[in-house]
Amino acid sequence: MSLAFSKETRAKHERLLTRYPNREAAILPTLYLAQREFGHLSDEAILYVADLLGFTPARIDGVATFYTMYNKKPVGKYHLQVCRNLSCSLMGAEHLIERVSEKLGVQPGETTADGRFTLSTVECLGSCGTAPVMQVNDDYYENLSEESIDAILDRLR
Amino acid sequence: MPTFTINGISVDVPEGTTVLEAAKTVGIEIPHYCYHPKLSIAGNCRMCLVEVEKFPKLQIACNTFVTDGMVVKSNTEKVRQAVTGVLEFLLIHHPIDCPICDQAGECGLQIYYMKYGLHKSRYAFEDKVHKKKVQDIGGQIILDAERCILCSRCIRFLQEVTGTSELEFFQRGDHSEISLFPGRPLDNHYTGNLADICPVGALTSKDFRFKCRVWFLRGAKSICPGCANGCNVEAHFKENILYRLVPRQNDEVNQTWMCDPGRLEYKKANEGRLLIPAVREHGGLKAEAWEAALSAVAFRLWETVEKNGSESIAVIASPAFSNEELYLTRKLADEVLRTPNLGFSPRTSGNGFSDDFLIKADKNPNTQGAQLLGISEKKFEDIVRRISDGKVKGLLVFGNEIADFSEEKTGELLAGVPFVVQIGTNEGSVFRAAHAILPSASFVERGGTFTNHAGRVQRSWMGFPPRGNARSGIEIITGLANRLGAGWKFAGEASVFRAIAKSEASFAGMSYESLGEQGQMAGGKG
Amino acid sequence: MELVLTAHFGNDRYRHADTYEELGGYAALRKAISMPKEEIVAEVKKANLRGRGGAGFPAGVKWGFLPKDLSRPRILVINADEGEPGTFKDRLIMTRGPHLLIEGIVITCYALTTHVCYIYVRGEFVREAEIVQEAIDEAYAKGYLGRNILGSGFDLDVTVHLGAGAYICGEETSLINSLEGKRGWPRVKPPFPASVGAFGQPTIVNNVETIADVPWIVTHGGEKFASLGVERDGGTRLICVSGPVKKPGVFELPVGTSLRSIIYEHAGGLKDGKTLKAVIPGGSSTPVLRADEIDVAFDFESLQKIGTMAGSAGVIVIPEGTCMVRALSVLMNFYAHESCGQCTPCREGCGWMAKVLHRIENGEGKDGDVELILDICDNMMGRTICPLADAAVMPAQSFIWKFREEFDRHIRDKKCPYGSRF
Repeated sequence: MSLAFSKETRAKHERLLTRYPNREAAILPTLYLAQREFGHLSDEAILYVADLLGFTPARIDGVATFYTMYNKKPVGKYHLQVCRNLSCSLMGAEHLIERVSEKLGVQPGETTADGRFTLSTVECLGSCGTAPVMQVNDDYYENLSEESIDAILDRLR
Repeated sequence: MPTFTINGISVDVPEGTTVLEAAKTVGIEIPHYCYHPKLSIAGNCRMCLVEVEKFPKLQIACNTFVTDGMVVKSNTEKVRQAVTGVLEFLLIHHPIDCPICDQAGECGLQIYYMKYGLHKSRYAFEDKVHKKKVQDIGGQIILDAERCILCSRCIRFLQEVTGTSELEFFQRGDHSEISLFPGRPLDNHYTGNLADICPVGALTSKDFRFKCRVWFLRGAKSICPGCANGCNVEAHFKENILYRLVPRQNDEVNQTWMCDPGRLEYKKANEGRLLIPAVREHGGLKAEAWEAALSAVAFRLWETVEKNGSESIAVIASPAFSNEELYLTRKLADEVLRTPNLGFSPRTSGNGFSDDFLIKADKNPNTQGAQLLGISEKKFEDIVRRISDGKVKGLLVFGNEIADFSEEKTGELLAGVPFVVQIGTNEGSVFRAAHAILPSASFVERGGTFTNHAGRVQRSWMGFPPRGNARSGIEIITGLANRLGAGWKFAGEASVFRAIAKSEASFAGMSYESLGEQGQMAGGKG
Repeated sequence: MELVLTAHFGNDRYRHADTYEELGGYAALRKAISMPKEEIVAEVKKANLRGRGGAGFPAGVKWGFLPKDLSRPRILVINADEGEPGTFKDRLIMTRGPHLLIEGIVITCYALTTHVCYIYVRGEFVREAEIVQEAIDEAYAKGYLGRNILGSGFDLDVTVHLGAGAYICGEETSLINSLEGKRGWPRVKPPFPASVGAFGQPTIVNNVETIADVPWIVTHGGEKFASLGVERDGGTRLICVSGPVKKPGVFELPVGTSLRSIIYEHAGGLKDGKTLKAVIPGGSSTPVLRADEIDVAFDFESLQKIGTMAGSAGVIVIPEGTCMVRALSVLMNFYAHESCGQCTPCREGCGWMAKVLHRIENGEGKDGDVELILDICDNMMGRTICPLADAAVMPAQSFIWKFREEFDRHIRDKKCPYGSRF
């Protein structure tokens, strides 16, 4: 079973290529397209991107594994990425991480059995003024507290 | 030409020279790992830090370009501390595999540790980052990612020289690891160079693995016998057994590289050798002393000429032999045996694979030499016809095979020749059909010169005298010629080469001194 | 007080071109395209506009590094990789005032005869990038981008390029490599980006805020901008305050405002009755200050004089009751996680320091561990391709120098006196 971009994504990709002077520069955005399309960047996905852009799979995989936002393994429906850097820690991030961990029954780095949540700790998200902060998939949740985080988790179904 | 000072020594260098390269020219070695003269500058190991006047921070010598009046110091306490610091960092995760690591004795970490380190480890063992060891990654290479110091030489080589990019860095920070993509092993003909350029034992040769400690090896400068490219190599041996070939730098021929098949050429010098002169009698081989063997062969040749004329003798020369040996072959055929039937047998060996880099389709190291010395390939076809027509009664075959002929074809061809003499190194089709076998020295057992595809005449040195009871080609041919009344007085290969330089236009003016270690182009060739 | 950037940030519609224009937007661009290019650059030089990304290099001077001849096309790259812990101002500009950035880009590119601009946005800022892209689309529609901008004959294309989660990509040569589709490894210099940058072309990399300041400078003149600040350090800065203060957030203040007033006046002081223990002034990579060191003007030179840096203006307020060992451990984990791994001292040193600190915090520190950390710092500082190693060293050294007894106590008592908690 081989992976391939849908016609739409293919069209998006073609437009994307016109913004750069060469195919190499399209590697990061193409990896994002692949991640959205295929769920995560499996070896098959890497091979597809390598073939599409004309680079060795080692080259593409080397790029993918350098950056934290490319998922080489599947993540749950909601990827909870809680900041553990200094400002957030000063504002109680440690407690929140423990709380979420207990509530969901997973350690940072793990996914719940029902595949709903993956819990990760991340570094500074660039919103220190509203600490503690977490990112869930593409969205930021700020000014977190025990109550607000409970409510958020309940809402995410 | 900017002039700069390093450790008080003044040096004049061409524009665009780096401090590291400039220091080399006056014999100052600035420690380094990631720098390689034939690869792009990486600047990541940080070993080559030096003091440069007017710069507040230490600078890397490999990427600092010499400017006029620059003052550099590489021998101060500050520099020594910096280098020691980098070494300590490199050693915190590096496994102390020395007792089982092939690189021991030629390891960059060992060498600089003895010079700059000699410290005890301050790192807690339980903190060590573990990576995958002993991975067969294809080609001739085994990867031990834990030993890797992440200098990126291998990655740059596969990007810039072979263009195949099989190896890459994965992950980040101190979890960075060199690896392949699963299922995509090394896939090019130059993987052996990776073991050469890796400063440590992360990339090592599968073939050489665990075979010999490098400090037992001695080396001889030689020319790879694998094809017409004539890559400059060094043969490493211990007690007359060869263990490996490694490239020697020659910017006109092979830079600092050689191909994978070439690296394995040494095996032929070890295995399947003809080591004892012999004659075939009553269906079996009988060992002979050289005197007896040479006399028997010379007599039989003389007898054949007496009975059937010179034209019944043919000589198949081999473009694997040296210029000196080929010159004497021609002299033997022309002046002593007086036969016009002299040609050399070409050999492309299999599919005659070649590429646009080092590998040539012609798998002989001295085809050009044979041609420049007046031995023709066309004549060879003529000889084969004569043999098939039964016109050849005495045949001298140099080498181990005839062209790309199969065992069967060779046997058929030679079956009709009443007297076949082999002067060669290894068992093969010719050996099985020959009536007399005169074992000759392998490529590392005698000195000589070879002419590569481009016409470059290059010297090869003897590593050790011929094994067993083999003899150099010069000795064998001279022995035959003198028993046939030639009266040659060649003292050794140098004297033969002097004769060549005197009489052969393409070699005019050459000498072993002028050839040096990098060779010279034959006259009229570039 | 003169507000260069944030005057209309309270207006939700300011991020749309129509409202931006109504409130005076793009007038500076109209003025700029009628000025000689050298004059625009001269004004920016007069403005003493120092880079707002952290390094503080004067923008006008950086622009001057471009080669004089125009035969090789230039590229402007906007560094929106805001990753320095404690910093969150560029996010504000991108979401509340993206057209300020765009107008600044067009003026800058016009002045530098540059026809291509990439905005490198950190990968986590998905929504922010969408807002910027929307603003870019509006700008194209109104003729502020694309071909023959405002009839000037000048062409410019702007592309948003998302990063993918790497703090190191905030370093300009790492950013360029990442833009080119590579692992985010910084480059050895020489060559410098102004001569060989993105795709081999002369490239200028500037921070979001730096470029966003350009329209005001064109409208009001460089001298006026300079006068808002202090000598050699002009204008206003967006100063971020985080930690347990009453009013955390971004404050646009004149360069040279006192750090004390930033914390106690603008951010309202510490909340819940806490008192100040320490403060990091310019993002986590700048040396920490004790509570008695905050009477200093927030400008590059004043902060440098007392041994720290203005950096990216990320003020992190640390209250009494915080374990400084634990705080440093959090920061070292950050640097170890973010080290790109290219060069030896940073790759190995960051990880090593993080591990030693982790042990000290957990009561497993040994005698000599603090000296070991300081020694590792000495072997990292100034020895690497890029300043990430220095960025890790500066908090490590300053925390130890200024709060040494806490480290010694952890080792002596074999436990964290604060209960291993924040």
